[in-house]
Amino acid sequence: METLLQIFNTDLLVATVRLSTPITLAAIGATICERSGIVNIAMEGMMIVGAFFGLIGAMFTGNPWIGLVLAVIAGGIFSLLHAFATVSLHLDHTVSGAVLNILAFGVVRYLMVMFFGHPGTTDPIQFSLKNFQWAIPGLSKIPVLGPIFFNQTPIIYFSFILVIFFTFFLKKTKLGLHIKAAGEHPLALETIGVSVYRMRYIGVLISGMMAGLAGAYLSIENAVSFTEGMSGGKGFIAMAAMISGGWTPVGAFIASLFFGFADALQVRLQIAVNLPIPSELFIILPYVLTVAAVAGLVKRSRPPKADGTDFMIERPE
Amino acid sequence: MQNKNLKIALIVLILASGIIGIVLYVAAYFFGLLLIAAALVLYYFYKRVGEGSEAAGVWAKSFIKKLYIPVIGIAAAILLGGLIMLATGYNPVIAYKALFYGGFVKNWHISVLNAVPLIFTGLSIAFAFQAGLFNIGAEGQFYIGSMAATWLGIRLGMPPVLSIILIFVIAGAAAAAYNIIPAVLKVKTGAHEVITTMMLAHTAKFLSPIFIRGNGGDPATSSHAYVTDAIRETNFLPFFKDLLPKSNYRLHIGILIAIAVAVFVYYILFYTRIGYEVRAVGQNKNAARAQGISIGKNIMIALLFAGFLSGLAGVNQVLGLDHKMFENLNAGYGWNGISVALLAANNPIGVIFTSILWGALDAGGQYMTRTTQIPASIVEIVKGIILFLIVAKYIYSFFGRKLSKRRKKNIRREA
Repeated sequence: METLLQIFNTDLLVATVRLSTPITLAAIGATICERSGIVNIAMEGMMIVGAFFGLIGAMFTGNPWIGLVLAVIAGGIFSLLHAFATVSLHLDHTVSGAVLNILAFGVVRYLMVMFFGHPGTTDPIQFSLKNFQWAIPGLSKIPVLGPIFFNQTPIIYFSFILVIFFTFFLKKTKLGLHIKAAGEHPLALETIGVSVYRMRYIGVLISGMMAGLAGAYLSIENAVSFTEGMSGGKGFIAMAAMISGGWTPVGAFIASLFFGFADALQVRLQIAVNLPIPSELFIILPYVLTVAAVAGLVKRSRPPKADGTDFMIERPE
Repeated sequence: MQNKNLKIALIVLILASGIIGIVLYVAAYFFGLLLIAAALVLYYFYKRVGEGSEAAGVWAKSFIKKLYIPVIGIAAAILLGGLIMLATGYNPVIAYKALFYGGFVKNWHISVLNAVPLIFTGLSIAFAFQAGLFNIGAEGQFYIGSMAATWLGIRLGMPPVLSIILIFVIAGAAAAAYNIIPAVLKVKTGAHEVITTMMLAHTAKFLSPIFIRGNGGDPATSSHAYVTDAIRETNFLPFFKDLLPKSNYRLHIGILIAIAVAVFVYYILFYTRIGYEVRAVGQNKNAARAQGISIGKNIMIALLFAGFLSGLAGVNQVLGLDHKMFENLNAGYGWNGISVALLAANNPIGVIFTSILWGALDAGGQYMTRTTQIPASIVEIVKGIILFLIVAKYIYSFFGRKLSKRRKKNIRREA
């Protein structure tokens, strides 16, 4: 009983939210991207780029907010390569995504050696976004829910807002509806005079900026330094969350919470359980659950009709 | 009749000089290149005798054509990489001199050793790509293959050649079995293999420390923590130096196995029914189904065989190079395998060359850092640019289309 309480308590849920935030952000980004019709398996690489530039910005200005902005910009610019390759050059989406993942690792390693003289882990920053933890007056006093949702760090609050924003964006705004149309029936969109290319560029750009934000969370909010490989497959878990969540922001958020919970749980199990079980068996828990979730839920959720397909049009000039 | 004898003699001569040339060349006896060139020239004459001078000319032309696109791409990447070096304050001439001298001459054996596992993971990814599948988790299958090979290598004590063959087959099969999960999920539920194989790759990586502790690497009891016991010496792959004394003492015959497997995969893909079906599924599922080809069966075949090939990469590293298994080896064979497969346009023979190029860039990069203090990470940039130039042909067709459109417009205007 005591062990159970040691594992299952409010702290577990707080950790769940913290660990799920990067997955949530990337999963929402991937959702918007695929709703526009472009498959983006480079989320992992874009996260890495965002995490690195977030740290660089925070370190050289001393202000983590500038780091955050830089991370979002870097993720966005990097994602434009994907948009250019898939939309304008009609390159296969997975091929372009794979190349960009590899390119991201290479570029970051090179820059790391340039800035810090060695690969691996960067020097720590003094002042991170964690210093801006903010308990919302009143709301944070609610038992259980208070510490989970209303006493968090900035990017976590952003992720809540962005879930609501992008749900609204896809359902109610003209741009959101056009993006969805680009992924469902691009030709119809083109016939009403809206450029599918432009919508798809915007979709990819949003995913890159969201991945950049997720990266910033990893390096300058959840940690104080950048480590190569710190994304640990979260970009791919985010894709799983997107699929399990049925290509909707709220669904992606719930699925991400589930994966975050698995991660939080395994950390606690490692510490609390005194049985002679190798700790690695707990570490793999989130990865195994991801496979199970994708396998179990993929049939029930429907991808956008034109997802992953190329669209080419000859415009009269 | 005499013509037939001449043909057979020529084939034997071509194969002999080709194979001996390759063996010599990879063992850093660089005059082997002459034999390889001789084999190519002889093949040209063989074509001439058999099919007339026209067919031989066509073959020679297509051979040169195949060479020149990658050569231009690599040259452009080197140029761009040089500009980046200039921009960041390094001397590209010194850097490239060290890079190529280190990669292709001084430390050629390291290049070859680097290339061996890449050939296997590259073949694995290329084969899956031919079926329209993306085996992004090749690294996981590499770990499974390594573990199985280590486990067997420590225990199997049969006559040398027999046990080595057994280890190759069983460890490869273990890695193939690991891919049953994504394959079945893909067929039954449609779960995307990019996610499932990637997650299973992380799983395999995190499980390997348990295996290593269980096989002699336990820090609590072992003198060599985080490393397994060494495999039996009878299970080592033979070394080149047993035959060619001047070659490096670490160079094992894995490269020859890798080349043979690449030729075998090429044969399967392009000259057998299985390969035909796999490629048909990869090119157009509906057309394949209309021909009565089973999509599910071919997805299973492609992913399982891909797993098998990636597993062999692990077997080679254990039996040939390390003779034990280390914890936390951030090998990156999965990601680099994707690069070499894409660069070779999923052609198994091409994978051999792109892997050697990648291996040489890594080996040369290390040599460059040691001798000139220019960071080896510039190699990552050069690799990235080379990769990005795969899209060059798409860029070319993109601008080509724009040009032709403009031309059309002009013609219309003139009319």
